Amino acid sequence: MATANPALVPEITVHSVEPEPRGWVSWITTTDHKRIGILYLVTTFVFFLLGGVEALLMRVQLGAPDNTFLTPATYNALFTLHGTTMIFLFVVPIMAGFGNYFLPLMIGARDMAFPKLNALSYWLLLSGGIVFYVSLFFSPPEAGWTSYAPLSGSVYSPGSGIDAWIFLIHLTGISSLIGAINFYATIANMRAPGMGWGRLPLFVWSLLVYAILLILALPVIAGAVTLLLTDRHFGTGFFDQGQGGDPLLWQHLFWFFGHPEVYIMILPGFGMISEILPVFARKPIFGYKAIAAATVVIAFLALLVWAHHMFSTPSATIVLVFFMVSSFLIAIPTGVKIFNWIATLWRGTVEFKTPLIFSVGFISVFLIGGITGIFLAVFPVDWQLTDTYFVVAHLHYVLVGGSVFAIFAGIYYWYPKITGRMLSESLGKWSFGLMYVGINVTFLIQHSIGLDGMPRRVYEYPDVGNLALYNLISTIGSFMLGLGVVVTAWNVVRSLKKGARSGPDPWKANTLEWFLPSPPPANNFDVIPRVRSVEPMKDIRRQIARQSETPVELGAAEPTPR
Amino acid sequence: MEAAGISAGIALDHHDDGHDDHHHGPPPANRSSRVSHEVLGMLLFIISEIMVFAAFFAAYFFIRLVAEGHRWFPFEGYELPVAIAGVNTAILLSSSLTMHWAQVSIKNGNRFGLKVGMVLTSLLGATFLFIQINEYIHIGFSPQDHAQGTIFYGLTGLHGAHVLVGLSLLIIVTVRAFRGHFSPEHHHGVEIPGIYWHFVDVMWIVVYTAIYII
Repeated sequence: MATANPALVPEITVHSVEPEPRGWVSWITTTDHKRIGILYLVTTFVFFLLGGVEALLMRVQLGAPDNTFLTPATYNALFTLHGTTMIFLFVVPIMAGFGNYFLPLMIGARDMAFPKLNALSYWLLLSGGIVFYVSLFFSPPEAGWTSYAPLSGSVYSPGSGIDAWIFLIHLTGISSLIGAINFYATIANMRAPGMGWGRLPLFVWSLLVYAILLILALPVIAGAVTLLLTDRHFGTGFFDQGQGGDPLLWQHLFWFFGHPEVYIMILPGFGMISEILPVFARKPIFGYKAIAAATVVIAFLALLVWAHHMFSTPSATIVLVFFMVSSFLIAIPTGVKIFNWIATLWRGTVEFKTPLIFSVGFISVFLIGGITGIFLAVFPVDWQLTDTYFVVAHLHYVLVGGSVFAIFAGIYYWYPKITGRMLSESLGKWSFGLMYVGINVTFLIQHSIGLDGMPRRVYEYPDVGNLALYNLISTIGSFMLGLGVVVTAWNVVRSLKKGARSGPDPWKANTLEWFLPSPPPANNFDVIPRVRSVEPMKDIRRQIARQSETPVELGAAEPTPR
Repeated sequence: MEAAGISAGIALDHHDDGHDDHHHGPPPANRSSRVSHEVLGMLLFIISEIMVFAAFFAAYFFIRLVAEGHRWFPFEGYELPVAIAGVNTAILLSSSLTMHWAQVSIKNGNRFGLKVGMVLTSLLGATFLFIQINEYIHIGFSPQDHAQGTIFYGLTGLHGAHVLVGLSLLIIVTVRAFRGHFSPEHHHGVEIPGIYWHFVDVMWIVVYTAIYII
């Protein structure tokens, strides 16, 4: 500054230094990405358990034909709460939780680009969840997580539950949007020296694409729910045919967001799997560039397929064909990834630790979900199967078998870094076994239930054909799945005190977060290592080995110069 | 950190730029992009804003072209004041020019240009908003009348809300300009609201074309 008087500036006397906040105050006021990450992970896992309990209640109701365990209204509220919780309060934000904790560590940054916005985005998420769950005490929403107009309009849903749902979408939407902008700015601006785009860890690549999709898709549903809100309360007619509006508009806007949302939920999972497999196969990832490129291609295609959720609405055949073919196309980059993961394992020195087992489970179960997705993308098949349990089976194979398995793989892989303690391997394997069998028992049979014609979102069914048996099998499976989740939850709590000390790098992993002690110090890196490859930790370990064994190496190398 | 806050406070008391080169705390992190994270954040935010407008435009064209029983826009018996709105468009666009002038001025160290540019921009923005509200008063139909009326108020109202937000930012910048903030080296506080204001202006051209002209 030209006008600055340098003599004035240093005349500062600090009378007191404000003490660092301690205890729970420090958690509420924190802007540290690691603490916010932990808040995210714990909060979303609690919502996951709530959503799981809701699912089990529904399965109890469906366990027998003509059951009267739940009233129809309660059942409607439960499937709305379950779907909304799992999508908006669990899968999407838990990915942001992992991203918060590990993104700066993986790229060698001190914190996120906007630490205060980061804290804001967590507290908005929590407020959204509270606003939504408070509706339990007056009139919970009953229109499903899709809240189709006109069902969600003021005529058919006069209670305020839908408004709670709308505010949840607004609050979690702003939260995710701020988070996405933060992720993108952090990745673009704060990478360690030497970390070009071609050396970005694949989990960070997937977070980048996750952020772009959130930025492009979320504002559309924010607009749509705003229109719904004015329709419900201010007499406007966006979705009211009587006033010249159209309920189909809701479906277009909703699914323009809704389909990218599917990839928002799965792509970070893909990224985790791409980090975990090479570590436990003790082999570099096969086709780094192909996986990164496939992530980008999936995201691009995800924006062009929304109407495959609307095949049963009136549309021209050419439109149906377009959305069918664009949906098929997504199978190609997804197939590239699955090929690359299997090729990474191929002839690797595979260590069967829990994170790897969850990852392999992910590949197999997600593959089944992907294949049934191709079935549903064929519009004449979809006309037959739409809104049946076949769709429920498909979406749970990709969401539970896909996203949830990836999340559990991530929990087992990164827990030592977050807490400094190892999770119990035997409990982990029990958890995996129960969940893997549970998923398949619960959801494989639902394909048959759907093919037999049972529609989704009905609270009871008559005792015809094999429906009673099929549904009983599915209910039994769901409790196995629930037990598997509880085992991991118990493992996480128990290992906080009783787990073995992990040290900085228990897995001999590849990315920079393992350079730090576990748990990492508040300032992350004292020295930021220069990144020279996709696997910086491998380089660092090699360098350390070379430094400590230099004389021996030289002596051994002398007789054989070649 | 505390010390940094105090030094910034003292610098401000001297009508000086607060962010001078007395850096406390850990050394700055590695910068892997030429665009600063503040500018990048605003650009990404604007992309999300474009998508919000896209949702409203989708609703507009859906109601106008696809929905059953569509008539023309706006529904029969009403005329939109195309000419007045055209003048209003010119007012808003000229505010982009004055904003640009203010930005260029501070980059060249011309504080007078910054102040005058910001005052003019704020006044032009406020005039736009005033004429828009006047149009609502005299237009003769309400948002509840028909989906066509709904979406007219929806789109112009969404844009008007953005003008209001932009105007608030401009007023903050103006006040800061008169308090002696900003310098040729440090003018993010002018640049970033400026990007937002340009976006609001460009978006109005799209809104005006879609609603008043087509």
